[in-house]
Amino acid sequence: MTYQPVPAAAAAPEVNLGDAFVTTTVDAVVNWGRRNSLWPFPFGTACCAIEFMGMVSSVFDVSRFGAELVRFSPRQADLLIIAGTVTYKQAPVLRRIYDQMLEPKWVISAGACATSGGFYDCYCTVPGIDEIIPVDIYIAGCPPRPEAFLEAIVQLQKKIDHENRRERVTIGGAA
Amino acid sequence: MSAVAYDAIKPGLSADELLAVLAPLGGVRDAADAWGLTVRVPRERLRDAVLALRDGATTRFDQLLDVAGIDYLSYPDWRGERFAVSYPMKSTVFRHRVTLKVLIDEDDANVPSLHDLYASANWAERECWDQVGIVFTGHPNLKRLLNHHEFVGHPLRKDYPCQKRQKLSVNDPMVDQLEAKLVSLGYTIVEKATASAGSPLTVKEAAK
Repeated sequence: MTYQPVPAAAAAPEVNLGDAFVTTTVDAVVNWGRRNSLWPFPFGTACCAIEFMGMVSSVFDVSRFGAELVRFSPRQADLLIIAGTVTYKQAPVLRRIYDQMLEPKWVISAGACATSGGFYDCYCTVPGIDEIIPVDIYIAGCPPRPEAFLEAIVQLQKKIDHENRRERVTIGGAA
Repeated sequence: MSAVAYDAIKPGLSADELLAVLAPLGGVRDAADAWGLTVRVPRERLRDAVLALRDGATTRFDQLLDVAGIDYLSYPDWRGERFAVSYPMKSTVFRHRVTLKVLIDEDDANVPSLHDLYASANWAERECWDQVGIVFTGHPNLKRLLNHHEFVGHPLRKDYPCQKRQKLSVNDPMVDQLEAKLVSLGYTIVEKATASAGSPLTVKEAAK
């Protein structure tokens, strides 16, 4: 028998498969799924919640970004949107709702009150909900327009895109 | 209320006539009243004055609109007592209103409760105690109405530091009166609402 060289295709079989395969990382696939299917839980306590309704409804239509499925149980949501003023009397309730959400979870603080207490410089208002729970994205405005809410969703999607599954830590020590 | 119903309310007493009713009970017109009749009465005669206004055939003040605490600590050029309690009253029979005002000292900040004369006084007095710290002697349930149960101090006093942040460590169940009401109606409480301890707050706080 004479020597016959191994065909090039056998050495690198991918060549014959064309574009039937895509190679990627687990993080990229997981983040792609997470960022395009955010399920928001609206914690609406003031006028910012009205703007949230505007964002969800047809004119601004957050479903273009995959976040239209509003859940009213924290156990089914992964995006907590605090839209409005939070008082100290209400703070344990907010904390409990955050704790009831499953990982992975993100928080958007919408508007001046949730972000800093707004103009309520008084004895009963929490000066920013980051005293109570960790926050991913802050929205300025009193109240912010629906476009600002959409901008926050897009920013959060970019943030999720860069998350590393192994390095993700649970802030706040949810049980 | 429609105009027809308003016309059914009879004309009331004038300010002078109301003052004549209150004068025997120590009532003196408050010089600062700008929008209506305000009468200062001594604390000892408050309940008598309120009863006279409520039950008098020509007065019939059947509504106590509010119980408002006033702190004169930073009031310009004020030389009198530090606190006052103001009782705006209205009649649904006659077309007249009056506000009673009781001035009280800081170290003796209490007035008799009116909860047995007007049902609306119960919560209004609780709010006044909560926010201004005036004790209503004889009140059946003088506890905070608006602020949470761990709150210390009375925030509407002028010397309260308004930027003092008071965190609430547990939930406030806020249904103790509801439970009592249900029991009085014959229901049985199977599981009592309790204040649940929240988990420790944020990393930011723990680091402090």
